[in-house]
Amino acid sequence: MAEVEETLKRIQTHKGVIGTIVVNAEGIPIRTTLDNSTTVQYTGLLHQLTMKARSTVRDIDPQNDLAFLRIRSKKHEIMVAPDKEYLLIVIQNPSE
Amino acid sequence: PIGQTSDELFSSQVHPVLFSAYKTVGFVFDENGKDVTPQPLYQPDPAAVMSKHSKIFASDTSGGTMSDFYSTAYQTTTNASFAGPFTRSVFGSSTVSRGSQSTMESMNEEIEDPSSKRDISISLSDVQVRREEVKELIKEEMLDDVVDRYLIESETLWLLHMPAVSVSVDSEEAESVKERNNLYMELCKNRMGNDKYVERSMQTFNGAPKTKEVQSEAITMVDAATTWDMYDSFRSAGLGEAALSPDTDKATSASSSRIEIEPFVVPSEDEPDPELVLQSEKFQQDLFVMERIILENIYQPKLAAYRQLPTLEDPDSVPKVVPTVVSRREESSLDEESTLTPALERLWSFSCELTSGHNVSSMAWNKRNPDLLAVGYGQFDFKDQKSGLICCWSLKNPTWPERVFTCESGVTTLDFSASNASQLAVGMHDGSIATYNVESREKTPVIDSSDCAHKHTSPVWQVRWIDHERGASGEDKGETLISVSADGRISKWFLRKGLDCIDLMKLKRTRNEKDKKQVGDKEKKSEALISRQAPGLCFDFHPTDSNIYIAGTEEGHIHKCSCSYNEQFLETYIAHKGPLYRITWSPFCSDVFLSCSSDWTIQLWRQDLFTPVLGFTSTQSAVYDVMWSPKWATVFGAVNEGRVEIWDLGASILDPTIVSLASPGVKLTSLLFATETDCILVGDSDGQVSIYQLKNLTVGEGTQVRQGFPTG
Repeated sequence: MAEVEETLKRIQTHKGVIGTIVVNAEGIPIRTTLDNSTTVQYTGLLHQLTMKARSTVRDIDPQNDLAFLRIRSKKHEIMVAPDKEYLLIVIQNPSE
Repeated sequence: PIGQTSDELFSSQVHPVLFSAYKTVGFVFDENGKDVTPQPLYQPDPAAVMSKHSKIFASDTSGGTMSDFYSTAYQTTTNASFAGPFTRSVFGSSTVSRGSQSTMESMNEEIEDPSSKRDISISLSDVQVRREEVKELIKEEMLDDVVDRYLIESETLWLLHMPAVSVSVDSEEAESVKERNNLYMELCKNRMGNDKYVERSMQTFNGAPKTKEVQSEAITMVDAATTWDMYDSFRSAGLGEAALSPDTDKATSASSSRIEIEPFVVPSEDEPDPELVLQSEKFQQDLFVMERIILENIYQPKLAAYRQLPTLEDPDSVPKVVPTVVSRREESSLDEESTLTPALERLWSFSCELTSGHNVSSMAWNKRNPDLLAVGYGQFDFKDQKSGLICCWSLKNPTWPERVFTCESGVTTLDFSASNASQLAVGMHDGSIATYNVESREKTPVIDSSDCAHKHTSPVWQVRWIDHERGASGEDKGETLISVSADGRISKWFLRKGLDCIDLMKLKRTRNEKDKKQVGDKEKKSEALISRQAPGLCFDFHPTDSNIYIAGTEEGHIHKCSCSYNEQFLETYIAHKGPLYRITWSPFCSDVFLSCSSDWTIQLWRQDLFTPVLGFTSTQSAVYDVMWSPKWATVFGAVNEGRVEIWDLGASILDPTIVSLASPGVKLTSLLFATETDCILVGDSDGQVSIYQLKNLTVGEGTQVRQGFPTG
């Protein structure tokens, strides 16, 4: 457990990382380093996108599953590690 | 329109007849007796119609004439009509067959009032006759015949009749119409004030609404069943996915199976602790991967340079041209490359807060995973001994080691095993040797030499896993761990009820011939009192013959030994004046080895010559580490206290080709070449392991094994 906390802390201190959010299956943020409104916004939107992405992957081949999702935009990169139980979201600005 | 199928005809028993009734005698009259028959849209093939109807009418009529046939058809329809004003009496001549009578009853109803005009049948029969005539073959003789043609005007068929709303003044009705109009106008005038016409409001009663219950089957709302949804449902219901074919009716089968499997679905625990998520194994895994991805974003250019891949450029930034290391095969373009001087480019360094302050004493690559590096931290001097540290670093995460092991005493040497790639052997300053399993997360060594009776009593300066292809006895086959220590012994370790060792060699002190004469008795005696053994500092086994090895001692002597003799040296090479820190065979040239020592020199030896072939001195500081390049036969790297030097013997034997200075205050202590890329790792006394890339190093005739090094 302590290792998890340590790793989370370390991730947050890496260069360019803007925020880290951990959301559980119900959409409640468990850990977040951003403010509330931003967290809620990211959570809601990314949850839907993840569902859609997973549905797409599995529709093509039901034995496959979504492992990771990365969205590279002009300003940031949003990385989502999806699971049935949680969503791990990290937003990084890689060119900083 | 000729081919009317039997299906159509028999679709209902009524209609064919009706249809033919239309065709034949069908005339519709409204109440006023006006004929409003619509023109038939097509003429059915009389032959076909006839054949069908013959069945219906159970025919005697088959042989009958046209007119007879149609008259009977007509008869039947008239008989079937409920309220036909027209009776049987229309066609007097025709007879109703029995068969037709029976079918009459079977036929039902809703037949319009057929008319009974003779003209009709005549006209129709004429039509039929005409048709028949058309079909007849026109023969030669017939051309000259006089044929009679009768033209008859048919009845007028009213299609639309709109009664007029205006009447001509001259017509008979004009008067009555005028009068009626006048009356109406009077009426309108009299309306005001007339009792007959009173404005009155009305109210319609709205009936009280009544709730009425309706019952229907349950309407199940399901999302469109996706392929994976069905797959999951079948999996969890245990039905197996083999039977499901995508062509079957998806929605219904999915919904039905869904209803079935409701009891099978594992109900989730009521309100699990949200924090529980953080402790799950999968979460840790995802965190791990996420961290690596983040770091990849940060370090991508450096890692790509390391792996000699083209670097991805940010499209917004100005692209920099990264000169790649020139391959040794490009000898022709030497002129161009001379403008680009060979240099070391620093890529990144492995360090974290755990390692700061520790001295890097040794580094080793994993034999199976070329991205995994083990670094041992420990002081060389006996003065500031701290607890030692071993960190396993992965190239994918330069900011945090994958594994961290703490040891009681400083780590002086380590080596990965080749046969068991996760086994790491560690030698420490207090003389103990331990092996760790880096795959597991255990913090303790797998095995330790502290219980061994013959363990080393002084710092272990080098350990190495040696693979003996052929050994003296059966147990020598395979890999064994060899160590050399300051107590003058070279030991071979093996597992026999715990870690145990036997001595391969005891490094006796040898004296130089010159010294023997000069040194007086006193000194001899005092020397003998301290120790008969010379502390061994380094060794290296021959690359091809695993029986032969060379060892360096603190006295500065190099001894060539064999595993078969553990009492005597085969040869002794004396040239260094100080302790030898490293000795290493050339990987390309099996007769040649290098040694470096604290007397500021690096010496190049040939096996059969007792004086060094070449000596290299660049600065006045002890050379801590030297290593041959695994790629080029003439290149080796050396690290002394303040600088990293890359020597290329093909270019110059007097000066190093590349020199890179260390940061002030930091001593460089160890060196390692990367096996597959042109990079070197340099460890320093501050706990940092820096990766440098060799740039623009042109080496001519690299891998050619050169048998003869120039002597002297």
